[in-house]
Amino acid sequence: MQRKSKAAFPLAVVIALCLLLSACGGSNNSGSSSESPASSGSAPAASGSSANDKEMELTLAFMGIGNMKEVGLVQEEISKITKAKINAAVKLMPIDIGAWTQQVNLLLAGNEPVDLLVTSSFFNYSSQVAKGQLLPLDDLLPKYAPTIQDTMEHAIFNSTKIGGKMYGVPSIRDTAADHGISVRKELMDKHGLTFDNVKAYADLDPIFQKIKDNEPGVYPLVQRSQTNGIANELVRGYIDYLGDTPGVLIIENQDLTVVNLYETQLYKDALQQARKWYQAGYIMPDAATTQEGNNSLIKAGKGFSYLSNMKPGFAAQETTVNGREMVTASIVPPISTSDSGTGFMISIPKNTQDADRAAQLLNLLYTDKDVANLIANGVEGKHYVNAGNGQIKAPEGGSDYVFNQWEVGNNSLAKVWEGMDPSIWEQTKEFNKNSTFSKALGFSFDSSPVKTEVAAVLNVNNQYKAGLESGTIDPSKLDEFVRKLKDAGLDKIVAEKQKQLDEWAQANNVQ
Amino acid sequence: MAKTGWAATFKKLKRYRALFIMMIPGLAYLVMNNYLPMFGVVIAFKDINYAKGILGSDWIGFKNFEYLFKTRDAFVITRNTILYNGSFIVLNTTFAIAVAILLNEVRNKLAARFYQSVILLPFLISMVIVGYLVLSMLSAESGYLNLNLLPMLGIEPISWYFEPKYWPYILTIVQLWKATGYLCVIFLAAIVGIDHEYYEAATIDGAGKWHQIRSITVPLIAPTITIMTLLAIGRIFYSDFGLFYQVPLNSGPLQPVTDVIDTYVYRGLMTLGDIGMSSAAGLYQSLVGFVLVLLSNYIVSRRNKENALF
Amino acid sequence: MKTNDMNQVAVHAIFILLAAFCLIPFVLLFMSSVSSESSIVNNGYSFWPKEFSLEAYTYLWSQKSAMFNSYGITILITLIGTFVGLLISALLAYPLSRRDLPMRSILSFLVFFTLLFNGGLVPTYLIYTEVFHMKNTLLALIVPGLLTNGFFILLIRTFFANSIPVQIIESAYIDGASEFKIFIRMILPLSLPILATIGLMLTINYWNDWFNGLIYITEPQLFSIQNLLNRMLVNIQFLQQNNLGGQNMAVNLPMNAVRMAMAVVGILPLILIYPFFQKYFVKGLTIGAVK
Repeated sequence: MQRKSKAAFPLAVVIALCLLLSACGGSNNSGSSSESPASSGSAPAASGSSANDKEMELTLAFMGIGNMKEVGLVQEEISKITKAKINAAVKLMPIDIGAWTQQVNLLLAGNEPVDLLVTSSFFNYSSQVAKGQLLPLDDLLPKYAPTIQDTMEHAIFNSTKIGGKMYGVPSIRDTAADHGISVRKELMDKHGLTFDNVKAYADLDPIFQKIKDNEPGVYPLVQRSQTNGIANELVRGYIDYLGDTPGVLIIENQDLTVVNLYETQLYKDALQQARKWYQAGYIMPDAATTQEGNNSLIKAGKGFSYLSNMKPGFAAQETTVNGREMVTASIVPPISTSDSGTGFMISIPKNTQDADRAAQLLNLLYTDKDVANLIANGVEGKHYVNAGNGQIKAPEGGSDYVFNQWEVGNNSLAKVWEGMDPSIWEQTKEFNKNSTFSKALGFSFDSSPVKTEVAAVLNVNNQYKAGLESGTIDPSKLDEFVRKLKDAGLDKIVAEKQKQLDEWAQANNVQ
Repeated sequence: MAKTGWAATFKKLKRYRALFIMMIPGLAYLVMNNYLPMFGVVIAFKDINYAKGILGSDWIGFKNFEYLFKTRDAFVITRNTILYNGSFIVLNTTFAIAVAILLNEVRNKLAARFYQSVILLPFLISMVIVGYLVLSMLSAESGYLNLNLLPMLGIEPISWYFEPKYWPYILTIVQLWKATGYLCVIFLAAIVGIDHEYYEAATIDGAGKWHQIRSITVPLIAPTITIMTLLAIGRIFYSDFGLFYQVPLNSGPLQPVTDVIDTYVYRGLMTLGDIGMSSAAGLYQSLVGFVLVLLSNYIVSRRNKENALF
Repeated sequence: MKTNDMNQVAVHAIFILLAAFCLIPFVLLFMSSVSSESSIVNNGYSFWPKEFSLEAYTYLWSQKSAMFNSYGITILITLIGTFVGLLISALLAYPLSRRDLPMRSILSFLVFFTLLFNGGLVPTYLIYTEVFHMKNTLLALIVPGLLTNGFFILLIRTFFANSIPVQIIESAYIDGASEFKIFIRMILPLSLPILATIGLMLTINYWNDWFNGLIYITEPQLFSIQNLLNRMLVNIQFLQQNNLGGQNMAVNLPMNAVRMAMAVVGILPLILIYPFFQKYFVKGLTIGAVK
């Protein structure tokens, strides 16, 4: 009854007494928050690393999704190096992903020292910039980290600019994505199935049918999660979402016209396809509500395949995660979208104690082999052991430090795990380079002018998407869905997006 | 004239100083935990810019409130919230009182203690786990109902998570299941405090059990009932987030019947990260509850001054 | 006085039904925790698992240092929090129950206003972390829960006002007793039912609290059991229901059976302790009934 709902933020009407107190409390707050800009911002007199007299501890906040039990050990080792190089220790602050938005908001509302922060377009990057939570990096990077831009595609590096200024540095990872299917090898072999005839998604039918007929209890096609439905995967290879609000670009058109995805033929076809598969029994009946993800379903043997975005080395990665050997087929060639760069970046938040030092640590993450390896893989002996050939493997008894590399830094400097092709980073670079780039790469949509509509549209989305895209609900409901979206203000959002996109295109000379 | 007024007041305060001293820790706590943070109410009216700080950010009037009113969904969530909470108040109170009274009647003390412990148990589980347990019952494929119970009764399996019409009942039952034990404890404490002499006198007068319950038990715990109801009314715009978000497993088709203000706000916060909007929602919820409580309290105090909150 | 035997049977029958209804989900919970992971993924949760396994508990045992640590934290904050919370609440409620207290209505209003209004998460967080520097301390787990709002105070005040005859207090005055003495020697002993009740509520609140841990604690040594469990579950749910641009995660998601086992482990102590609490409850009942 007296549950504190973690979602509700009840507020009060101020009584005279409180106004008085709040004046004191409030001035504390605004006073202290105006201190930080003074110490951060574009470096005034300090030149290079000669200003590193003060020893300090820099905090790096990131999403602690893996196993963070021995993060303290890793932190110590990294600190040894950073103390020597930039006179600063490092504190690693893993934050649970389920609480990410809330905790980051709280952290930044106050004055707790956070010097480097993982940011992402999936976690309100543009709102963070609009609200002044992040510092611009344009002056800091050339001074302290001039080589970072050469570690990735220049287009990607520049894609984090908002209003002409850069607020984040993308992590080195697969920024492009091709789309296709991953299947269990043993079942493919068992039934003599191959991908030879698979050029489009519809060509998968015979494979699914074979599995359905011969493997009871195994679902030919499972979804990755509740919200990542089949239809979603079918269209994803062809569009640039321009953030996670409605209004997308069709990449092959290579134009700058924002369209409503739900009214396109592409989407309608995808829904039909998903529905067909659902009715044929290839998809689990409760796909839209199941709490099991694709990995656990494959592991338990309940699923046979899933659609997803892929990258070089994907099959090897999935084999490790699923505990079963997987093979993949790429159906849609690689693309890079507007949020390829901003998908995961590092930024310097306004709470930093010293922006110059933070920038130097940023530089180490991208240029120092040991630091990059420590944060990505952990401490040698404890979290990995040598597997020969310069590669590494898991130690006996498992490891208590599992980091998700793609979040942070220059992973191409880190050691490669056994099972992955040793040249994986070169392949990834090539992969990124040769993808089809969306024209809107570098555009970030600021949703605050239409935040009311976004909230409403989101609600409608939630009602229909999972059911429609898994094929559970008949596509005839699409009209109802679109109607409700429009009622909620979809067109306004699309119009606003187009407007911002046009402005951006003009400012950046993009045709 | 004024001087004697002040002096008299001061003297009175002095006489009661021990009582005032007793209140100091509690009041100090409330100031720290509840009143100091109230400066945050301004967040609802501002476009928060962290670089400028909370006080320095721009005022944007009621823009943060728009998403709660302008859209069609606003009607749905408000309706849902009120209907659910309204029925919860009535059902919970009735049920809990009934159970408390019955519990008080059990002669075997050991059995009574056992029953009470068991009924309280559901309160201890978190809603996330309850969500999984409900799933085990209602899963289309492997749920207990579809697999075992319905076939026994000769009914076709139902895709529970896609049929909105059952959910008001499902959620109400789950809610009752969880809350009864807790409320029952409170009412039981009140019932136990009733002087046995009343009952003895009534029995001597020849009053039956039912009569006794109606004219002694219920009236004498009326203060407690009133307070619990008033408080519940004050929270009428708040919902148990876990109940409405996690138990339905965030299933889309169920939204028209399971969406309440709190879930709507949460989804908005996750996408937009806008604390101004969520603050606005909170203020809205508090204000409505406050007005309603004042009203109800007024009505109650007209009938019986003792039972009012203040 | 009490109902006759026929009615007793009826009453017992009702309660057995209710008890079953309340217990069944727990049975399910426990059974799931001793199922094998694959039987859960393949067949869902069932009362009689297709395949029994203790793998969930062996996994938890392998984490025993973290588990014992969080148990310790939970027990510590529950004990301290309940005791202090009860004390403060009673101390605040008693004067408010006295009808002769000057400024009673204003003070009552101030106290109960907090029930309806709250500064909100962000300002509260700022006060506790910036002004009082409680982040990552045990205090952060204890203090926010002490009163939270005037709910408990209200209940205690009601009890004091209605169940303790004013005559007792008046006769004590005549005997020359001081307020504090009256409070400690007379009021408290007479209030055992309500104190036991509120004590129970506080205990449950502290034991089950994960929210304060979530926002104020980032040091794993200070995680309480429920905090640990909840973080895990919320993370899983988040990843399940959100589509981070299709980013493939190498996550360490505990298996279903482990989540159930953690839930069992989190509730078990409370279930075991409650009967003892009840004893005092009953004792208080008999004393309270005496004039």
